[in-house]
Amino acid sequence: MLKVTNLHASIDGKSILNGINLEVKPGEVHAIMGPNGSGKSTLTNVIAGRDGYEVTQGSIEYLGNDLLDLAAEERACEGIFLAFQYPVEIPGVSNMAMLKAAMNSMRKYHGQDEIKAGDFLKLIREKADLVEMKHEFLKRAVNQGFSGGEKKRNEILQMAMLEPKLALLDETDSGLDIDALKTVSHGVNALRSPERSMILVTHYQRLLDYIVPDYVHVLANGKIVKSGDKSLALELEAKGYSWIEGMEDTAAAVQQAS
Amino acid sequence: MITANENTSWVTAHADVALSGANIAWLNQQRKSALTQFEAVGLPGVRDEDWRYTNLRALKSNDYALSSASSLNIELADTTNPRLVFVDGHLDQAASTGLSDSVTSLKDSLEIVEAHFSSTLPKKPHGFTALNTAYAHDGYVVHLKSGQVLEGVLEVVFVSQSADAVSHTRNLIIADANTQCTIVERHVGTHGTVYLNNVITEVVAGDNAHVDHYKIQQESNDAFHMGGVFINQAKGAHVKSHNIALSGLVTRNDIHSNLLGQGAHVEMNGLVIGKGRQHVDNHTEVNHAVPNCTSDEYYKTVLDDHSRSVFRGRIIVAKDAQLTNADQQNNNLLLSKDAEADCKPQLEIYADDVKCSHGATVGQLDPVSLFYLKSRGIDAKSANALLTFAFANEVIERINVDSVRQELTQIIAGELLSGLEELV
Repeated sequence: MLKVTNLHASIDGKSILNGINLEVKPGEVHAIMGPNGSGKSTLTNVIAGRDGYEVTQGSIEYLGNDLLDLAAEERACEGIFLAFQYPVEIPGVSNMAMLKAAMNSMRKYHGQDEIKAGDFLKLIREKADLVEMKHEFLKRAVNQGFSGGEKKRNEILQMAMLEPKLALLDETDSGLDIDALKTVSHGVNALRSPERSMILVTHYQRLLDYIVPDYVHVLANGKIVKSGDKSLALELEAKGYSWIEGMEDTAAAVQQAS
Repeated sequence: MITANENTSWVTAHADVALSGANIAWLNQQRKSALTQFEAVGLPGVRDEDWRYTNLRALKSNDYALSSASSLNIELADTTNPRLVFVDGHLDQAASTGLSDSVTSLKDSLEIVEAHFSSTLPKKPHGFTALNTAYAHDGYVVHLKSGQVLEGVLEVVFVSQSADAVSHTRNLIIADANTQCTIVERHVGTHGTVYLNNVITEVVAGDNAHVDHYKIQQESNDAFHMGGVFINQAKGAHVKSHNIALSGLVTRNDIHSNLLGQGAHVEMNGLVIGKGRQHVDNHTEVNHAVPNCTSDEYYKTVLDDHSRSVFRGRIIVAKDAQLTNADQQNNNLLLSKDAEADCKPQLEIYADDVKCSHGATVGQLDPVSLFYLKSRGIDAKSANALLTFAFANEVIERINVDSVRQELTQIIAGELLSGLEELV
C-alpha cells in the first residue's frame, strides 16, 4: 500500500527527515513513536501533502504510484486521510457542510454522482453515534468552541465518513482524558479492516493499549532507529526515550561509515 | 442639469425642487440653512481627512439631472413581506403593498416628522448630507406609537433606473417607547447605468424601542451611492444596523449612533464584498454620551480584483459615560494583490471606568485552514471559496431574523460560492 524509501525532507531549509524507510501493507497498523522533534508529525504531513515541506531525497510510493506527484486534495481523494494533531477551527462552515463538500468532491474525482441529501444525513448520524458525538455538533461550525476531546472525536467522525484506505493519526491521543481516549479508540478500532491501513503517531504507549498495532517504529532525529512489534512500545515506556539516544549515535556512525 | 464638479451648480439647478408642502416654514428654514452649509463646504474631496481614501473624481466628472417620478421598469422578485417601492427616489404607489397608518411616504408625513427631521444628523454634515437635507424629495417614514409592534419584516426597495439621475431620499424611522420593528432597505440598479443615490435614513429610537435596520446595496456597477444612517437612542433602546455592500462603483456610508439614554445598546454589522474596481467607504461612529451603554461593532470586508475598501470606526466615550462597554472589530480579507483595504479605528475615551476593545486585521486566507479542507479531498478552488464564504458569513450569522439571514446567506453564497451553493 505505502512504501517510503530513503525519505529526506526539510522545512525552511532545516532537515527534519533523514532517510526514512517504511513499508505498510493493507490492513496493517503501524505505530510511530519518538521524542519531541524527532520528525513524527513531519512524516505524516509529508505523506498527506502539506505545503512548506520540501522532499529533498527519496520517494513515497502509494498503491503503486508516485505519491509526491499528487496535490494534497488528490491524495485525499485517493484515500489518504490525516487526523490532525491540532484540528483547525473553521468558523462560518458547519461540520455537515464541510463533510458534504468533502464527500462530493471525492465522488466527483471518481466520476460518481453527488450523494443524496437523505443518504448523507443517515450516514453522518450513524457515524456520529459511532464516536458518541451529539448530533447537534454536526450543525456547529467546524471545531469551533469544541473541547480537545470533541475535536479529536470530530477527526475520527470525518475519517469514518470519508472511509480512507490509509489513515494517518497524528497524536490523536494528545489532550484526551481516559474516557475520551476510549471513545476515540473504539471509533478507530471499528474502522480497522483488512483493506485499511493506519499509521498512528504517538508520544505515549497508552494509546497502544487501546489500539493495538502490528508494528512499532521508533523515530529519532528523522530516522527510524528501531522497529518491532507491540512489545517494543512497552520496552520504550519502561526505559524512556533516553534508551534510544545510544541507538541514534549508532545509526549516525553506521551512516557515516557507509 | 447639474455639473457635479461645480458646487454652485448643485444650488442653482435644484432651486425649485418640489416636495409637496415645501412652503412649510420649518422645512424651508432647514433647507435654507442646509444650502448655506453646502455652500460653505461643497462636495468633499481627498483633502478632507474623512474622505482621504475615497476619490470622487468619477462622480464629479458626470452630470446629473434631478430624478423625476417614473414607473418601475424592472421586475422585482416576489415577496410575502409588505413592501414599499421607490423608483429613482419617488414612491411607486402602484408597486407598493406596505403602506399603512404607520408606514407612509415622506411627502405624506411632513407633520409627523417635523420634530425629528435632521435631529440625528452630525453637527457638521458633509456636502452630500447637506444636499440631502436641502433637496430630499421623498422617502419612507415608519412611525410607531408607544408600545406598537410592526409585525414581520417591512421591505423597502429603492430602484434606480434612470441614467444620469440624482435622487436625494430621506427616510425616518420614528420608534416611540417600547416599540419594535424590522426594516430591510434594498438599493438596486441595473449594471451599466450611471446614477447618484444620495440617501439618508434617520432612526429615532425611544425608550426601550427595538429597531433592526438592514441596508443591502446591490447598486449598478457604475453607480454612486452616498448613504447615511443616523441614529439617536434613548434609554434602553436597542438598535441593530446591518450594512451590506455588494455592488456599486463608489459607495460611502456614514453610520452614526448617539447613545443618549442609559442602557442603550447599538450593534453595527457590516459586510463588503468588493470586485472589479468597486470602492466602498464605511465611516461608523458611536457616541457614548451617557453611562451604562454598550456598543458592538463587527465589520468585515472581502476584496477581489482591484477593489478597495475604507473603514473608519470612531468611538467617542464622553467624560460622564462611565461603565461604557464598547467593542469594535474590523477584518479585511484580500483575495487579490491589487485589492486594498484601509482601516482606521479611532477611539476617543474621556471617561476612566470603561471597557473598550478593538481589533483590525488585513490578510489572506489561513493556509492551515486551506490545507485542512484540502486534506479532506476538497479541491483548492472550492476550499478557497468555502473559507471566503465562511469569513463573510460570520457577519450574516449575526442576523437574528431567520428569513433575512437565510436570504442573505443565499445571496452571499451566490457571490462567493459558485457551484457550491447547495452547501448552505
